[in-house]
Amino acid sequence: MVNPIYIIILSLITGFLLSIFDKIGRKLSMTIFYGVLSFNLFVMAIWFYRLLVVDVTPLLINTAGFVAPISINLRMGLQEAFILLFSNFIALFAAIYLFKKFKKAKISSLVLYLILSMGVNGLVMTRDLFNIFVFLEIVSISTFALITLEKNLKSLSAGFKYMLAGGVVSTFFLLGVIFVYYFSGNLNLDFINTGTFNNLGMIAVFMMSLGIFIELKPFPANGWALDVYEATDSGIVSVIAVVNSAAIFYVFYKIMPMIPNNLLQLLGYAGLLTFVLSSLMGLKQENAKRLLGYSSIGQMGLLISAVVFTTNAPEFISILIVGGFLVNHLLAKAGLFWITGIVKKEKIADWGVLNHSKPLLILFGLLLFALASLPPFPGFWAKWEFIRWLIMEKMTVVAVLVLIGSLCEIAFLFRWFNLAVKKEDLQESQIETSHSMNLPVAFLAGVLAVIPVIIMKYFYQIDLIHLAPVIALIVIFIIEIIPSKIKGILSLITLGTYGYYLYPLLSGLQLFFAVIFIIGGGIILISTFNRKGLNQNFYGLLLMMILSLGNLLIAKGYLEFFLNWEFMTISSYLLFLRGKNARNSSFVYLIFSIAGAYLLMLGFAFAPAVSSDMVLLKSITQIQLPLVSIILMSLGFLIKSGSLGVHIWVPDAYAEAEDDVTALIAGILSKVGILGFFVLAVSAISHKPDIDIFYWIGWIGVLSTIIGAFLAVFQEDMKRLLAYSSMSQIGYIVASVAMLSHLGLVTALYLSFNHLLFKGLIFLAIAGVIYRTKTRNMYEMGGLIKKMPISYISVLIGIIAVSGVPPLSGFGSKWLLYSAFIEKGWYLQSGVLFFASAVSFLYLYRLIHSVFLGQLKYEHQNVKEAPIWFILPQLIFIIALMTISTFPNLIIQPLNAIVGNYIDSSIVIDGYKVTSSLGYWNGNQVMMVTMGVFMVPLLLLLLLIGKTQKVKQFNIVFAAERPESPQTTHVAHNMYAHYKKVLGGWGKPRILSFWNGVAEWTHSLGNLFRQFYTGNGQTYILHIILYMVVLYIILGV
Amino acid sequence: MDIWTKIFYAVISVVIATIYGLALGGVVRKIYARVHGRYGPPVWQPFIDIIKTHAKRVAVSHGIMFYLGPVFRFAGGLGTYLFIPVIFGSAVFANFSMAGDLLLVMYFIFFGQLGMALGAGEGGHPYSPLGIARGLSQMTTFEVPFALSVIALAIQYHTLNITAIVAAQQGSILNWTLFTNPFAVVAAMISMLGMNMHSPFSIVLAPQEIPIGPPIEMNSSFLATLQTNRGLFVAAKLILFMNLYFGGATNLVVMIVKTFLIYMFSVFVGAAFPRFRPEQAMRFFLKWPTIIGIISIIFVAYL
Repeated sequence: MVNPIYIIILSLITGFLLSIFDKIGRKLSMTIFYGVLSFNLFVMAIWFYRLLVVDVTPLLINTAGFVAPISINLRMGLQEAFILLFSNFIALFAAIYLFKKFKKAKISSLVLYLILSMGVNGLVMTRDLFNIFVFLEIVSISTFALITLEKNLKSLSAGFKYMLAGGVVSTFFLLGVIFVYYFSGNLNLDFINTGTFNNLGMIAVFMMSLGIFIELKPFPANGWALDVYEATDSGIVSVIAVVNSAAIFYVFYKIMPMIPNNLLQLLGYAGLLTFVLSSLMGLKQENAKRLLGYSSIGQMGLLISAVVFTTNAPEFISILIVGGFLVNHLLAKAGLFWITGIVKKEKIADWGVLNHSKPLLILFGLLLFALASLPPFPGFWAKWEFIRWLIMEKMTVVAVLVLIGSLCEIAFLFRWFNLAVKKEDLQESQIETSHSMNLPVAFLAGVLAVIPVIIMKYFYQIDLIHLAPVIALIVIFIIEIIPSKIKGILSLITLGTYGYYLYPLLSGLQLFFAVIFIIGGGIILISTFNRKGLNQNFYGLLLMMILSLGNLLIAKGYLEFFLNWEFMTISSYLLFLRGKNARNSSFVYLIFSIAGAYLLMLGFAFAPAVSSDMVLLKSITQIQLPLVSIILMSLGFLIKSGSLGVHIWVPDAYAEAEDDVTALIAGILSKVGILGFFVLAVSAISHKPDIDIFYWIGWIGVLSTIIGAFLAVFQEDMKRLLAYSSMSQIGYIVASVAMLSHLGLVTALYLSFNHLLFKGLIFLAIAGVIYRTKTRNMYEMGGLIKKMPISYISVLIGIIAVSGVPPLSGFGSKWLLYSAFIEKGWYLQSGVLFFASAVSFLYLYRLIHSVFLGQLKYEHQNVKEAPIWFILPQLIFIIALMTISTFPNLIIQPLNAIVGNYIDSSIVIDGYKVTSSLGYWNGNQVMMVTMGVFMVPLLLLLLLIGKTQKVKQFNIVFAAERPESPQTTHVAHNMYAHYKKVLGGWGKPRILSFWNGVAEWTHSLGNLFRQFYTGNGQTYILHIILYMVVLYIILGV
Repeated sequence: MDIWTKIFYAVISVVIATIYGLALGGVVRKIYARVHGRYGPPVWQPFIDIIKTHAKRVAVSHGIMFYLGPVFRFAGGLGTYLFIPVIFGSAVFANFSMAGDLLLVMYFIFFGQLGMALGAGEGGHPYSPLGIARGLSQMTTFEVPFALSVIALAIQYHTLNITAIVAAQQGSILNWTLFTNPFAVVAAMISMLGMNMHSPFSIVLAPQEIPIGPPIEMNSSFLATLQTNRGLFVAAKLILFMNLYFGGATNLVVMIVKTFLIYMFSVFVGAAFPRFRPEQAMRFFLKWPTIIGIISIIFVAYL
């Protein structure tokens, strides 16, 4: 076991000797340099291992042979080992990253780097206040020298500002330390008791702690840091942002016990403010490194507030929160800074060049996901526990602010990610990189990927089936080089196996949704066999999405559920992103989804504990949920189901996704919000909330149906039309669930199943049409019935099922729906539903007529029927639809049984006849009569006109003029112009304007705060001093 | 009752209703002619028209969907009629009303409209989709007061079973919905003006703008099928209104008298008013009739 003091000794000695070795040769000095850094890491690794696993007692090192407080002592405990392990790790890898630079640089830079590393180690380990000051100065000076390594105007001025700020801050710190010594007669942290200090002593503590605190870059006294981040070399800045910050953060942690509670709380809020505002300011930022700078500052703020607000938390939680945020920040930030050095593009808009190097792009994505605290990375767990803790401590405002900050952070990070993925500029030169630069990044990402497994296994004992989505993603990624079809078949097999695994665990409601998610997903997956080539990064995401949906059904406790919810969000976002023009649409989807997920997280945090060995879908129905919890969760589910008000992500996301993906999204993903609602409703039936919140949710659902339907009517793009149609249809389901009645719940499930069938069917048929015609605009098509008859039949059956025209299953849903609504006493609502249902005829007719009927365009004369892979799943859906239409009890009976588990049945099922309190419906008889009445005129006509005269296109009764071209004869564009007149002012897009306004105001607000950063060093100093004064006044000492 | 008897009864019922509906059409044409100051065609003109169009030598078809359009339309008429119990207490005229309630009838009306719209669409004539777009749009608006009125009925009678609704109105003329829930009747009657597409709501067939609209390409037996359906469908709708609002009928004569009088409302309004523009027609339905429909619900549910 090596005494950690040797780290300091060795670094110091080699630091001095390095220039002498360098005279012999750069190779030697480099070897020694890296040797020392590796040694440091090695020592820390051993210590960390021993303290954690072997459980040795922490080591106290007394220097100069005296016991503290007479001499300075160092401490090596688990916390120190933890921080230093990661700091030395980053320090070593940053040095490797800088290998090429160091090879050419002056030897002094290597020396400085070593000294910096030594300073950091000392800073963390020392227990002496004055010693802290010394190490702080060592770190500052060496950092300054490293910043100005690149001699350009920007870095020189940044270094100067850094020096100025550091000078002022350490002056205050030193003053504080001196007075603390004056009052306590001591400099050793373990022997100072600030509890006995008088007011003057408190000022000393104030100065000392503020000195450290400002080093952590609170808003707005942090302009100097931003300039440093922007101007410094990527390798160096990673050390400054990560290694230095971690060490100083730890110093703050060390002196925390000395800080009086009111000041500590104030600092916690200041940290929070920094996090929120720097995330806000990041929104407008275009420069990559400055963006990361904002993120760094924000993360430090978050860390401070986390450490301050969790002082009373159990050790398990505080370790997870603070440690999670810290590790997350250290690793992700360092890696991202390094990537900025590889890409060498200042503007984030130019990051499309990353497309030249897919591995690097993937690493970039990985680190970004980690930084955004998405699962399974450490930040995710930390945030989860942090929010729960805050809610438990009744610090709701703090929790909300943390989430708002996180949302802004995700916004600016993923704007960047989308630009990198989607903005391809192939004229650009290749990315110049080397192994010494790539490897550190890859290694970091690897470490980040391993930590979650440790967390899941040791902290939570989560069943590793919940990692299955990620594992599927990775496995498919590994076998990416095999052809798409084989991967597709493998995916199908995986789904089958997964379903087989899941089946014994499920019953009732779970089983129903499993059918939708897994079987429905499997059927639609067949259509993806049409994809050619390698089709990279597709099946992994697809599997990830479906598996996470399946996992939702068996998740125990809130955390497992939320974990899979986030997996589902991430995978669907990435699937959306694959679309050709999906940069903005997928971004909007992500922001809304994450906001929804955060609402869900808050909702869970407010909810009482549930039994951890029961599936959440069951256990949550057995507890009384508080009203706030229901509202928050409902909002989350409303967003996911694209209800009115939060629907604006729907049309673009659906339209811009790849066509087969859209079918999947509409068919199965749209049901996940319904699943949530259903469970909430069941819970509310047995445990009534104080306010009848579901009444209002019902209205939202009802209004979604009518407004969604009208929006669909006026679309020219058929996928947008169908997207709005989905919004409308999902509105029916939401409204049905919200009734909290037996018939309502049955209706909701029936509608969900039906929606899967007909939306899967129509979207796949449409996908085939788009595949052949290469357009989504309906008016550019027409007359395709003769070219694509099977697709036509699919759409025909689909729209009959949507519209609710008997004899298909759609009528069953309408019958259930109105019966349920009238039975419940929601009369006006059912009137609106009638209206919406009638309006749906408009868009359905528009869809089928504009595409398949009317005049065929000249350019489509040679269009063929859709490929077999699109047709096959359609046939399956058609068979399913016809079966449940003819034998409705096949579906009604099980649904009645499922809902019967929660609430007494209100319908009687006798054979094919369903009787409610209001009326009756015999689906089988309706089908038979319809068949009969259809055959009568058909046979009559066949008898009367056996042979018809076929005519060519345009041979129509056209009075006095001759139709010239399909374009002028086909009525399709702006088909319902007259309805626009009817609606008048009601047709304005108010909700879209509202959200645009929100985006605009948020950005402007962010921009406003950026005005603080003038770039003037003197102003920055003023900020620091004013900051202290203001805090002092607030504190009112 | 075994299925063949049922079918036999249904055939009788359908034939009678069709003949009645066509004759009614003839009478109405006569009335319109007299209002216009013409002598008008004979009452049996619709029958002559059907025979004549059937007798055309050439039948032009634009494709399978075009061929099926009239089939759908007639099947829609047949189905709508067959799901309505025509005469209260009569086995012959009970039709297939045991398959579903009022909601089924309301949605089966769309069956024929949708099929016809598709068939006409394949015809390729621009006037067809224009007419259909107008027709569907107008339909969405007159459905609103009608649906509100039906909801009011469901509240009032606690059922959507048509036979039960008729049963509840038996006994006295004062038991008719017309007197027990006048607002619902007013709303429904106004929306019936739209359904029957007489002036001022004749925007679909609008001869001066989009000559006869959707069926413009229909010829020979296709057209004849549509003409036959027109008779049956009108009868079906009138019988539905009679059942819901005017006490139903216990025998054929009462049925004929009542439906004739109900139809006259449309005819009188149609003869007296000029045609609306599409958006005027639609706005009309979304204003007063809708408000009256809402009042009818409040009337039965909360007062």
